[in-house]
Amino acid sequence: LFTIYVVRTALILALFTVLPAAAQDGTAFFEQSVRPVLRANCVACHSEKTLTSGLSLETRESILRGGNRGAVVQLDKPTDGVLLQAIHHTGDLKMPPGRKLKDEQIGVIEKWISMGLPMPAELAKSKRPGADHWAYQPPKKHALPDVRDAAWAKNPIDRFILARLETAKLKPSPEADRATLLRRVSLDVTGLPPTAAELSDFLNDKRPDAYERVVDRLLASPHYGERWGRHWLDVARYADTDGYTIDAPRDIWKYRDWVIDAINKDVPFDRFVTEQVAGDLLPNPTIDQLVATGFHRNTPSNYEGGIDFEQYRVEAVADRVATTGAVFLGLTLGCARCHDHKFDPISQREFYQIFAFLNNIDEVDKEADRKYFNKPFLEIGTDEEKAAFAAWEKEVYDIEAAIRKREDMVTGDGDADPELKELRNKLNAHRRKRPALLRTMIARELPESRVAYIHLGGDFTRKGAVVKPAVLGVLNPLETNSPNPNRLDFARWLVDKRNPLTARVTVNRMWQKYFGRGIVDTESDFGTQGEKPSHPELLDALAIHLMEGGWSQKAVHRLIVTSAAYRQASLLRPDAAAVDPDNRLFARQNRLRLDAEIIRDSALVVSGLLTPAIGGPSVYPPIPAGANNVTQVKREWPTATGPDRYRRGLYTFFQRSAAHPGLLVFDAPDATVTCTRRVRSNTPLQALISMNDEAAIEFAEALGARIVKEAPADDAQRIRHGWLLALSREPRADETERILRFIRARRDSKEDEPAVWTAASRVLLNIDEFLTRQ
Amino acid sequence: MMAMNPDDRLLQQRTRRQLFRDCGVGVGKVALASLMSGSAFAAKTHFAPRIDHVIYLFMAGGPSQLELFDYKPELQKWDAKPTPDTFLKGKRFAFMDTFSKETPKLLGTRREFKQYGQSGLWVSELLPNVGTVADDIAVVHGVSTENFNHGPAKLFTNTGSVRPGRPSIGSWVTYGIGSESKDLPGFVVLQSGPRGPRSGAALWSSGFLPTSYQGVPFRSAGDPILDLSNPRGVDVTEQRQTLDTIADLNRMQFSVSGDPEISTRIDAYEMAYRMQTSGPELIDLSKESKETLEMYGAEPGKGSYAGNCLLARRLVERGVRFVQLYHTDWDHHQDLTKPLEDVAREVDKPTAALIRDLKQRGLLDRTLVIWGGEFGRTPMGEVREKGKVGRNHHIDAYSIFMAGGGIKPGNVVGGTDELGFSAASDKIEVFDVQATLLHLLGLDHTKLTYRFQGRDFRLTDVSGRLIKPLLTS
Repeated sequence: LFTIYVVRTALILALFTVLPAAAQDGTAFFEQSVRPVLRANCVACHSEKTLTSGLSLETRESILRGGNRGAVVQLDKPTDGVLLQAIHHTGDLKMPPGRKLKDEQIGVIEKWISMGLPMPAELAKSKRPGADHWAYQPPKKHALPDVRDAAWAKNPIDRFILARLETAKLKPSPEADRATLLRRVSLDVTGLPPTAAELSDFLNDKRPDAYERVVDRLLASPHYGERWGRHWLDVARYADTDGYTIDAPRDIWKYRDWVIDAINKDVPFDRFVTEQVAGDLLPNPTIDQLVATGFHRNTPSNYEGGIDFEQYRVEAVADRVATTGAVFLGLTLGCARCHDHKFDPISQREFYQIFAFLNNIDEVDKEADRKYFNKPFLEIGTDEEKAAFAAWEKEVYDIEAAIRKREDMVTGDGDADPELKELRNKLNAHRRKRPALLRTMIARELPESRVAYIHLGGDFTRKGAVVKPAVLGVLNPLETNSPNPNRLDFARWLVDKRNPLTARVTVNRMWQKYFGRGIVDTESDFGTQGEKPSHPELLDALAIHLMEGGWSQKAVHRLIVTSAAYRQASLLRPDAAAVDPDNRLFARQNRLRLDAEIIRDSALVVSGLLTPAIGGPSVYPPIPAGANNVTQVKREWPTATGPDRYRRGLYTFFQRSAAHPGLLVFDAPDATVTCTRRVRSNTPLQALISMNDEAAIEFAEALGARIVKEAPADDAQRIRHGWLLALSREPRADETERILRFIRARRDSKEDEPAVWTAASRVLLNIDEFLTRQ
Repeated sequence: MMAMNPDDRLLQQRTRRQLFRDCGVGVGKVALASLMSGSAFAAKTHFAPRIDHVIYLFMAGGPSQLELFDYKPELQKWDAKPTPDTFLKGKRFAFMDTFSKETPKLLGTRREFKQYGQSGLWVSELLPNVGTVADDIAVVHGVSTENFNHGPAKLFTNTGSVRPGRPSIGSWVTYGIGSESKDLPGFVVLQSGPRGPRSGAALWSSGFLPTSYQGVPFRSAGDPILDLSNPRGVDVTEQRQTLDTIADLNRMQFSVSGDPEISTRIDAYEMAYRMQTSGPELIDLSKESKETLEMYGAEPGKGSYAGNCLLARRLVERGVRFVQLYHTDWDHHQDLTKPLEDVAREVDKPTAALIRDLKQRGLLDRTLVIWGGEFGRTPMGEVREKGKVGRNHHIDAYSIFMAGGGIKPGNVVGGTDELGFSAASDKIEVFDVQATLLHLLGLDHTKLTYRFQGRDFRLTDVSGRLIKPLLTS
């Protein structure tokens, strides 16, 4: 850091010491002669703010940078260049539009260019409007605010929360009862509800740090990596198939396992990011570091006949830029794909400069390479295994080619064509013979970078200026010695401690999972159009806690879940709602409907069916009949009958064009673009699934059998056991009475005892409280 | 439900008012609102709607306009001649490889065309029944789209983007104005033909809108909606008792926590129960008269495009807002003889019957029927197998038609050059079709927006103009 500062200072000094006299003459000329011409004729469209065609004529830096079509002034060829052609009206481009400058005005510009564009010092560098926005300033350490009820605060978080509440004359809510708290923190940290034993252990643990011990146990559980890994897989748009038309299975579950493992090991977040964005470019990358680069390979890929592969590769790269913006920077970079960002200081040129970093993975970009679709892969196996796999893969390709050829000849019902049918059967049979070679999609850089252009209007066939990789001007500079910075430099820039956004955006997303909304409500937009943080100082404190705590995510989790703010009850507070209807001040916790996968996982735990294995290929639990044949190519769904039938929801095979309804209907993202926040809808289709689906009935039967087996043959005791298992609490008297009425009605219908308790369990697995973390 | 104190009521109202900008907690209530009528907080139109329902007949694969509606006598004269370079320059086509080997030859249609009705609409021999409703429909020629591959082009037609992830047109509509049906989803998808449409569920996805606006695929046989039947061993009595018990226990929890989301869940479970009753009745076509079944060519219990057309009418009768039928497969690269005749026959009679049936029941005036694919087919022939000729994908000029409220019937809008390569005058784009569809529903396509990742998204992106000559006013 110090050396860079020195170099910069030296440069600035050099500029001032070498040029004084000449510079003064030049700037005088600029002020007297040039500036009036520019002001009257050019800068209305070509200012730092308007940036028509990406060009600003307001600063020396921006003039030399040029516009979307390329350079406009070349100092080494002062009589040439687009600017002069345009004002002379000698080329296609004639400026100003509809009229021509006077000859003496043109002469002034020519002279100015030949002088080397002298301008006063304050116009040397580009000034980006909006650069003073809060989110572009580095996080600062703030003193803990004074509060009246200091005893309430359990850690620094609480001082920030309480100070705002006291200003609003609100009291925080009391701590949730211990059972609710245990269920909440277990679901939030591991995605699994507590077992009956865990509940009684906690209720009986009278030590003052009993809760903190629970938190440590949960953070050490391998299920923590599954829970928070799934959150990360949302932002990574992870799926098991290619998307688009063909939507065939792809090899990338190793990446999912890498995420779970890295989070369990608490790999520091800066490394976690670097390895995913550019693990392949690290010196002598390990297998894990290569697997991690699956992150940016999770974009959908198209294999349809007749396509232009380059078009879909470009789409994928553009998505990587937009995802980088949303996930790390909290910036809507995608807005700058077709034009300069309308609100934030992000130019279209800068979009394509970041594009240039991510543009050089050795992916298929032409029809001739169709057979290498989805390359590059990492293959993990012996040479013999790799050879066997290659031979098998060639056969797949050959059969597919034959199918495509035949499909083109047959229109209408393809199933009726015997030849096509035979070919498809052959393909399915051959697919089942896949040799045991583990492989996974990764990033691998081309030996020579692709040329990156600005795509005029966002259209990749309309090539504008050539751009080199570079970062956003409004943020921290790229620190590298390389003349050709690459993806690794970019990754390091993202997690550079001077980057004002990455740490803030990351802790904000964590907070959002724990409270249902972030400190910044617009979790993927920290720009000028986003919401302001409700607690800016707390956001900074958490970001600094992440960075200074060695980028440990577990440290931030521990801090949040042990705070008094987190432990509050979630009961509605009419008094607080009158002042703060959206609960932005966090005067209570929020009740949150469980995520799609967690609803399944909870039922698996409660019914005792869960297969707790971590990782491995994705699995096929039962799926409602007909749910996966809406796509062009019918896919097999080999429903698991063994232990894989009861794996956690995050292992369910995710078919992009026909995902498992149990996931989609409960708002799991569709994995086409990054998802930084799930919606929580509440619909009749959800009711149909949790009431009637085959899986739901299996869970109810298992829970019913468990209640009968584990509790004495006494209705009250069995009801109590059901409540403890499903909701981690004792039933209230009115609840016992109501379910008892139902149980008696079932007996009156001559149902046998197991059926009665299955029916009662079905009720328990459908009530709002079971589907909700309170 | 228990009585609420005024503070609770205020809280609930407030939560409802927040719905459209908060995609986090609380969105469920508006979701339900979209599915239930008479709700006090149903969304409003921007101006008086001309129609209340849409039936979108999506012809998947890209029907050949030159064999169906766009009559080009001039192209006959050019038959088998090489395509002039001026038509190919700067154009990109699917399957570039088959075209790059030699200059493709123009192909005049082998189909007879004749004029129908008072309007004298040109329709080919492949769609004689559609010809009989010529005076009820308006044909749009020279529609252009942006992508020449099936999946992306289908996405574009439905969502305004070639990439998956944006809300479909049916989702935008139900998000905008909700539904009238108390016991059916507002946006229903039906499918027929040998395979599902390319891109699958992304075509009726709600994208970044809440999932409650997603199209719900109905099967025309068996359970119309996934998990609609009671599970094995559960009869109607048990189902009702179960629901009542769940509702009571939920009310008890509501009295403790006060979370309005619990009330929404009680309503959602009730509506699910109503769907269980109405769903099987809906798809049971056996109650339809013999004449009606014959008019459509539908057979009860047998899934088909004909059955789906009839189902579409039944859905609209029950207040469903947006019904979309997909029929595969119109992708005739190889052969414009029997394969094309077959699919045209499957579609012809039921489509005409649907329009006639809606009209005789007084529903056509409040419904838009729209017929079209993701693109059309080239004026050049494509030879993939000796002795046969088909047509490649063409994105610059294809034909669709519409019928119903607000549409000037017996009308032809737009036109193509003599060989059918491009629009003859003003370009009509997919965004224009979308804008016009929303307009008929009382929605201004520039105002129907949703903020996502910092941007106000709309179906028509930054484009879309009304196709005014299509409209009665």
